[in-house]
Amino acid sequence: MSLNKSALAFAGILLATTAMGTGAALAQAKVAIVTPYMAQPGTQFYVEAFEAVAAENDWDVNVIDTAGDVAAVISRIEDLVVQNVDAIVINVDPTQVTAGLQAAKDAGIPVFGMDAGADPLLVTNVTSNGYAMAAETSTYVADRIKGEGNVVLFVFDAFPPVQVRGVIADAVFSNYPDIKVLDRVTPDVSDGGIADSRAKMEAILAANPEPGSIKAVWAAWDQPALGALQAIEDAGRSGEGIVVTGIDANPQAREAIAAGGNFEASVAQDFAGIGATTAEAVARVLAGEEILQSVTYVPTKLITAANAAE
Amino acid sequence: MQLFIRRYGTLIGFVAILVFFSAMLPGTFPTAKNWLNITQQVSMLMVVAAGMTVVMVMGDFDLSVGSAASLAGIVAALMMAAGQPIWASVAVALLVGLLGGAFNGVMVSLVGILPFIATLATMTMFSGLAFVVSGGKTISGRAIPEDFGNFARGGIPLGEWGGVAISLPNLSIIAVVVVLAVWVLLEQTTYGRRLYAIGGNMEAAHLSGIAVKRLRLIAFSLTGLAAAAGGLMYASRVASANPVQGSGLMLNAIAAVFLGTTMSRHGEPRILATVVGVIVLGVLDNGLTQMSVDSYVRQVLVGALILLAVAASSVTQGRR
Repeated sequence: MSLNKSALAFAGILLATTAMGTGAALAQAKVAIVTPYMAQPGTQFYVEAFEAVAAENDWDVNVIDTAGDVAAVISRIEDLVVQNVDAIVINVDPTQVTAGLQAAKDAGIPVFGMDAGADPLLVTNVTSNGYAMAAETSTYVADRIKGEGNVVLFVFDAFPPVQVRGVIADAVFSNYPDIKVLDRVTPDVSDGGIADSRAKMEAILAANPEPGSIKAVWAAWDQPALGALQAIEDAGRSGEGIVVTGIDANPQAREAIAAGGNFEASVAQDFAGIGATTAEAVARVLAGEEILQSVTYVPTKLITAANAAE
Repeated sequence: MQLFIRRYGTLIGFVAILVFFSAMLPGTFPTAKNWLNITQQVSMLMVVAAGMTVVMVMGDFDLSVGSAASLAGIVAALMMAAGQPIWASVAVALLVGLLGGAFNGVMVSLVGILPFIATLATMTMFSGLAFVVSGGKTISGRAIPEDFGNFARGGIPLGEWGGVAISLPNLSIIAVVVVLAVWVLLEQTTYGRRLYAIGGNMEAAHLSGIAVKRLRLIAFSLTGLAAAAGGLMYASRVASANPVQGSGLMLNAIAAVFLGTTMSRHGEPRILATVVGVIVLGVLDNGLTQMSVDSYVRQVLVGALILLAVAASSVTQGRR
């Protein structure tokens, strides 16, 4: 009996040491990506680009999709902390997974945000620069109308990522003495934003019937731009050269831009670039470097009729 | 032998899973820290599944628990965002769950609609209500008081284990308390025995003088209350609330109860068997994540395991 027990203990120890031995011999960095949003199109681009860089670095990447369950993101981060991975990447609002981030911090495991939102518990969050995107389209508008005329703004200040875009548009247009902001509209977004923006734009067109009395429509995202475009076309005023711009370059917007009508420009985020840059940030930290910026911005791209079909 | 497999197959499978993970992950899986993590990770499901056990004892279902959990989280979050104290927000959210459950009970026992259909309808209703009151938005960040989110992160310190400070998580404590309450209710009271009698033969129970309608109504109310409690625990853990966050709880709760029924003598739900069912699901998620098994493969494995367990108990039953 006692022989049995000691044999068992010996086998157990043997098993444990082999497991530890193999772990040390491999020394391959273990990196995990945890997201509840794998089904969303942007996320797949991030992850694929991340994996490409990871393959170059010979990392063991574990992609975990919790299928919409945010609490499960916390659980999986806890499991990864117990497993003692080398780095964790999240693609979810960090304020909702603080419990997991704290566990990782306590264990000294770096966590990176891939378009997640800035948070003191993250090494850095890699994302697009909302200020820069708005600067691209508002300067496009100002240049196209040669710095003069009436402009309609569609904004949404209640949602912080969109609010920053409006701030830049205000700054750019107020810097031109001959540009007048005719109206600063906050559309009702409960129906997706297109229909109400269209209704609002129809009212503005009716109030300003003179051709040339509206030179441009600057929208903080694509839906109001599409709504305004519909209103302009339906009012039979597409020939006046009213310049419409959006942000995000969603497929519907790209189509409208490629068609060569009033909708002239939007800005596309570089999802693959965000994934690759996140992986590069992980590589830097694994190499012992300290990252000082709490947010890492990835350049965006102005989309016009010249490149909308790409 | 067949009887042995039917009765203890799931338990043996559970032990086999534990042995397997312990052998594969000797340094991390069988540790106090990891097990406390697991109890915390399954705590919300544990509470919802415990409530589900109460109606499933009578052979009924409640498909609305996930929506009720989401709705409770949203109600509490909106009240806290409006500056109400945490205790009042939690109390109102629990009341919403209780009333929602009572509504299910009325539809099932008084109106006489099949539970599957009645709770399918209320599932949609509760989910719709959660969207209506929240406007479809996630309530998070500064709208949620820090204390509410901190609750799920806190616990009772248990000292050190292998150089790591460990504590018994608050959420795990709640789960244990709820399980104990349901255990007392189902196993130690006349009410519980009557529910089992209804589950055995509703007509006979009725003829023997059991107030079937009233008992069913109460049972559904309790399930709704537990669902709301689970939803609040979820909201505290993620320090936020959105109108769909509890939806995953429903199927997992039913799966856990079913896994549990494979361990009881006549295939009836028992609360302690439900506890094993919940832990099986939690351990699989935990262990397979640590072994870096693909999350989609994990889903397939979990589904296959449920089928295997239920098949093992029903095939042997069928041969008799």
